[in-house]
Amino acid sequence: MRLTRRDRLFLFAPLAFLLAGWLVLPALLGLLATFSTYSPFATSVQFSGLANYAAVVRDPLFVAAARNVAVFTLVAVPLELVIGFSVAYMLRRPFQGRAALRVLLLLPWLVSPIASGVMWHFLFGGATGIVDFVLGWLGRPDMPSPLGDLRLALLAVIAVEVWRMAPFVTFLLLPSLASIPTERWEEATLSGASWTGRVRHVAIPAVRPLLLTITMLLTGLSLGTFDAVLILTGGGPGTATVTPALYSYNRAFGVNDWPVGATSGWLIAAAVLGAGLIYVRLSRTKVAD
Amino acid sequence: MAVTLLAFLLPLLWTALASLGVLPDNSSRPPSWRGSVSLDHFAEVGIAEPAFWQELVTSVLTAACAAAIAVGAGFLAAFGLARAPFRSSRVVTQGFLVLASLPAMAYVIPLSDLMRRVHLLDTFAAVVLSEAAATAPLAVFVLHGAVAQLAPEWEEAAVLDGAGLFRVIGRVVLPLVAPSVVATAVVLFVLDWNMLLVPLVLTSGEIKTIPLGLSDFFTFERELDWPTAAAALIVSLAPVAVLAGIFHRVLNRFALDLRTGE
Repeated sequence: MRLTRRDRLFLFAPLAFLLAGWLVLPALLGLLATFSTYSPFATSVQFSGLANYAAVVRDPLFVAAARNVAVFTLVAVPLELVIGFSVAYMLRRPFQGRAALRVLLLLPWLVSPIASGVMWHFLFGGATGIVDFVLGWLGRPDMPSPLGDLRLALLAVIAVEVWRMAPFVTFLLLPSLASIPTERWEEATLSGASWTGRVRHVAIPAVRPLLLTITMLLTGLSLGTFDAVLILTGGGPGTATVTPALYSYNRAFGVNDWPVGATSGWLIAAAVLGAGLIYVRLSRTKVAD
Repeated sequence: MAVTLLAFLLPLLWTALASLGVLPDNSSRPPSWRGSVSLDHFAEVGIAEPAFWQELVTSVLTAACAAAIAVGAGFLAAFGLARAPFRSSRVVTQGFLVLASLPAMAYVIPLSDLMRRVHLLDTFAAVVLSEAAATAPLAVFVLHGAVAQLAPEWEEAAVLDGAGLFRVIGRVVLPLVAPSVVATAVVLFVLDWNMLLVPLVLTSGEIKTIPLGLSDFFTFERELDWPTAAAALIVSLAPVAVLAGIFHRVLNRFALDLRTGE
């Protein structure tokens, strides 16, 4: 239908009001504040140029956080995609109980990052954990919790996040994979394609735009990792699992260093917006061919 | 297949058993199980964290209101975008996805300051509206796909009969995309239910949701007893699990495909 001006006002005003007041305005005010000494507790505000950015980038803790989140994103996102895709691929044909299985598989995603942090704290370590139970069955000695190990802590955090998010990827991919017409699979099989061939030439092309969208969401989520480490490790041991979001939060609300907290928060936004530009560009080229 | 399933569900099964008081005994060889099944630990949750049941109610209310507002505002805008004459509506929609990917940490620090200045800190309204704003972009993206798939002929027929915008949306569009709207509302409810950062920086204890409560009693009482923590986890998971179970058929319609609308 053709929309009049009044129609459009009615349609867009609620969202515009909501986003402007509770997302865009705070984000832009925050951006402005990063170029000043602004803080809710300060009596006077001065323009400070890029001083806040320099302070953040020179802070070894932030550098460690940026490194951790880069590793986290580069390892967790591909793993979530591959595992999520594989499970969805296995479930693509209808069978008795698939609907129930699909809901059961969504359960890890329904657990909040905080709850999963509490849970894995106990499962990783100690007398009641799942890791020592399995090791005991294999006749191996107990292992101290990887969360307290400098080298293993980040990997453990990544493993927990993959456990939580891969099922969500399956959930998002399954309807599209399941709706690929049976003939397409048969054609591929008849033409002698192996299972890798079927994945590459039948499954992937059918879900490519979807995969791109999911990658964008997962990347944003990873770059903002906060509650997944808050309980599990609190950023430790040392700086092994600190993330930029945790750093920003601690700066702004822990030690009341508002300008540095807000500035590092904006650096997260910049990274996500950069990823967003790549996403928009890639989706355009996909449409062209 | 069975192995994958086990890997994803075993940790939760472990937690469920612990909440019932059944714990592994890792010091014996081979490891064994001890404890007998009881519901005592669920009662202990209310003792360890007296406000827990209150937090459960707060969580239901905030998540339900935030999801309803986000889906409502998101649906109207998605319809407007899908029927807008301008050509860049595709990029705009993708922009909403980028916005949906933006971590809350990117703007919650100034948001908390803004809310304090307009005297909304520690209010139900601030938490609900902030959560709604954080999740609305995702609703726009998904619902835009659903609306764009509809054949415009349905609406044209109604317009020829003299229907205005309200009638077209209420009688034609909404019934056709209802499954997508419900699916989006369920997913947004889960996201709001699990959200920590937004209520964390906007409240100082007045409006306490489940993730806040869990993080509190875990940060301050590291020695928390595992079966009690497990019981709290199971209780916090139950509402969303039941919701997902009830709506599992329409959840199929939560589609992030961009192919639609081309």
